[in-house]
Amino acid sequence: MKHLEKGVSLRRAPADFIRDLNVDNVSAGVVAGIFGLSAGVIHISAGTAAGLDPHFIMIWVIAYLMINGLFGLFMPAYYRLPLPMANSIPGALLFAAIIPVVGVEAALGASLIAGAISLVAGLAGVMGIVMKLIPMPIVMGMVGGILLKFGLNMVAPLEHALLPAAIMILAFLLSARLLRRVPPLIVAMLAGIAYMLVTDVDFSGVTFSVTFPEFIVPKFTLEAFLAYGLPLALILVGMETPAGVGLVQGMGYKSVPANAITAVGGFATMISSFFNLHSTCIAAPMTGICSSPEAGKPDKRWVAAVIAGAIFVVAAPFYGYVVSLIEAMPSYFIAIIAGLALLRVITSAMYMTFAGKHEMGGLFSFLIAASGLQILGIGSSFWALVLGVGVSLIFETKDFEFIRRVANEPSAS
Amino acid sequence: MMFKDWSISAVAAGFLAVLISYSGPLAIFFQAARSADVAPGMLTSWVWAISIGAALSGILLSAWLKMPVITAWSAPGTALLVTLFPGLSLNEAVGAYLTAALIILLVGVSGSFDWLMRRIPSGIAAGMMAGILFQFGLGAFRSVESTPLLALSMLGAYLVFKRLAPRYCLVLLLVTGIALSVGLEGTSLSGVRWQLATPQFIAPEWSWHATLSLALPLVLVSLTGQFLPGMAIMRGAGYRVHSRPIIATTSLVSLGTALFGGITTVVAAITAAICTGKDAHEDPDRRYVAGIANGLFYLLGGLFAGTIVTLFTSLPDAFVAVLAGLALIGAIASNLVAMAQASEHREAAVISFIATASGMSLLGLGSAFWGVVFGGLAYVVLHHTSRPSGG
Repeated sequence: MKHLEKGVSLRRAPADFIRDLNVDNVSAGVVAGIFGLSAGVIHISAGTAAGLDPHFIMIWVIAYLMINGLFGLFMPAYYRLPLPMANSIPGALLFAAIIPVVGVEAALGASLIAGAISLVAGLAGVMGIVMKLIPMPIVMGMVGGILLKFGLNMVAPLEHALLPAAIMILAFLLSARLLRRVPPLIVAMLAGIAYMLVTDVDFSGVTFSVTFPEFIVPKFTLEAFLAYGLPLALILVGMETPAGVGLVQGMGYKSVPANAITAVGGFATMISSFFNLHSTCIAAPMTGICSSPEAGKPDKRWVAAVIAGAIFVVAAPFYGYVVSLIEAMPSYFIAIIAGLALLRVITSAMYMTFAGKHEMGGLFSFLIAASGLQILGIGSSFWALVLGVGVSLIFETKDFEFIRRVANEPSAS
Repeated sequence: MMFKDWSISAVAAGFLAVLISYSGPLAIFFQAARSADVAPGMLTSWVWAISIGAALSGILLSAWLKMPVITAWSAPGTALLVTLFPGLSLNEAVGAYLTAALIILLVGVSGSFDWLMRRIPSGIAAGMMAGILFQFGLGAFRSVESTPLLALSMLGAYLVFKRLAPRYCLVLLLVTGIALSVGLEGTSLSGVRWQLATPQFIAPEWSWHATLSLALPLVLVSLTGQFLPGMAIMRGAGYRVHSRPIIATTSLVSLGTALFGGITTVVAAITAAICTGKDAHEDPDRRYVAGIANGLFYLLGGLFAGTIVTLFTSLPDAFVAVLAGLALIGAIASNLVAMAQASEHREAAVISFIATASGMSLLGLGSAFWGVVFGGLAYVVLHHTSRPSGG
């Protein structure tokens, strides 16, 4: 346990939460929460595409909100850092694809092992070393590449919804320039909602339902582990955690509990596997929103992550309602809000990638992550890190701190 | 008097510059042609036109100014084509080439080039350029999925060559790539033989759509992506260049070659340094020979354009995609760096990048146009005036 970083305090968290509340972190938390809720659409469509039972898809998504949300309340409150928890989207796609092959129980068994690997990696304190081996510009290049897709989604709806998109984006830009106190995101959201009210968006198809997560006993098979458990473990340890930790560090936070995030994510993933859920881990896009300058003063941004977690937990049983609400809302609304929220994160990711060292490795990492390339069933973010570091080792050997130290002090031993 | 200046090193430098242009940047042109689905005869005419344009302007300017003026076709301009075809007709494209050449001619003759370059926010131009070139970088990695063996071997070979022989990297990659295509993908080169090219005339057609989507971005990327770095390289090598004669000559030549499908002729950015540096000749006054040699080899390439076209068309898609992407890696990196380091207007620069990279088409206009519009809009709203943006 000695590798687990100590947090601030859980006991004083509720009082501190109320003390640190402000309009910036509340609005960022709401945006992150809505963004996380909207990510359920990805699960729903991936599950449907894989031919999974609609009831299973529903309890899968509800479990993700409930369990991710509970851990998402705990992590930021204990560490007082913007560490929202969600699940791995690449992992979700793998999960949906493997269920028809090995069955739900075996897939969840593989999840359990992946969670155990992540837990051990965190307890053993491997993350600190992993993060040192993978330089920041390369991690940020990967983050930039992944986030870029969300940025591009922001622009894509413009083709079909020129007027509302233009109104929302212009409202964002103008308020960023003119209004100092009001977060530009809120202004953009209000502008979008005003537009929807004026144009009479139809909400009559929205239906109400209450559902809770269901318990299930996982089963272990080698096939499921190799095809899905091992890639998931790599995704959790090699990508989701470095991406989240990298983002938070990139926003200027000095001590980020990388080992604890890995260990808690692993433990939570093990719990998840008993409730039809594939993983729990730190969430890169939501972390981006909660830790960005949009969320106000750095030491109060943790509130945003807690709010996002609370939104998850509260919304979980009613997600059936949320699904039909999301379906009724025009798709451009979520896409644009998420895109605007991520704009600054993409901007700073690009800045950190190309600020000096590891430029070549950072570029390869960025391009590979953005290309969405898959090798051996493992997603682009993993390869972005591996190949980015590889390229950097070849061309930018001197940029690596540990290599420079060895080169400069050949006699020190 | 000319012959006493000739040297093997200068001729070799000129040859290498042409070889690199045909290895890397030409692959972009083939990508564009694939998206437009043009017939080999027409493609031959395009290659003929860009080669002859580079040859004429290069020989003329080098001999006249007595300095190595290396010209080529606009590489980011050809990249732009990929996003516009097949929505754009060939006739409209030619119309846009003519419009672009005229605008560049006006900019050059009026002497407003340097003034204009100071006015355009550097980050927005870099963001747009990165957005255009970005697709090619992605293309190189996406072909790993469709043709893993060839694409990964070429990527590996690129890394090795880039490390061991950066100067010959693209040429070596071309040769290796062809060998790998034959060996791994069973490509047959039996159709490749020496044949003289016949240019084909294309009647220009003018349209608003082509002017805004192609001509305007083409002017912008040619000025900021080719003329600006190209002249900077020459100035860096110690030559006192004036933009007026160079821009005037290249755009006059462009007007002629446009009618045969040749995209705007510009000052080379990727290959210029080979001919302007010490490697061409110790004596800076004798390096102009490299420029002339470069032009002569382009002339040769233009005459045998048909052979080049059959070579490229018999190679697999993945080969062209990887070659084009890797040829642009340096340009993508430098534009992303310029975008990220535009500290006063970074957000506007990133907006310009995202809008361009999204490849969206709005009101029938291409994403590069919107990249400039949105980037410019964000620049005016967020950053104009001396006050720095908050946050």
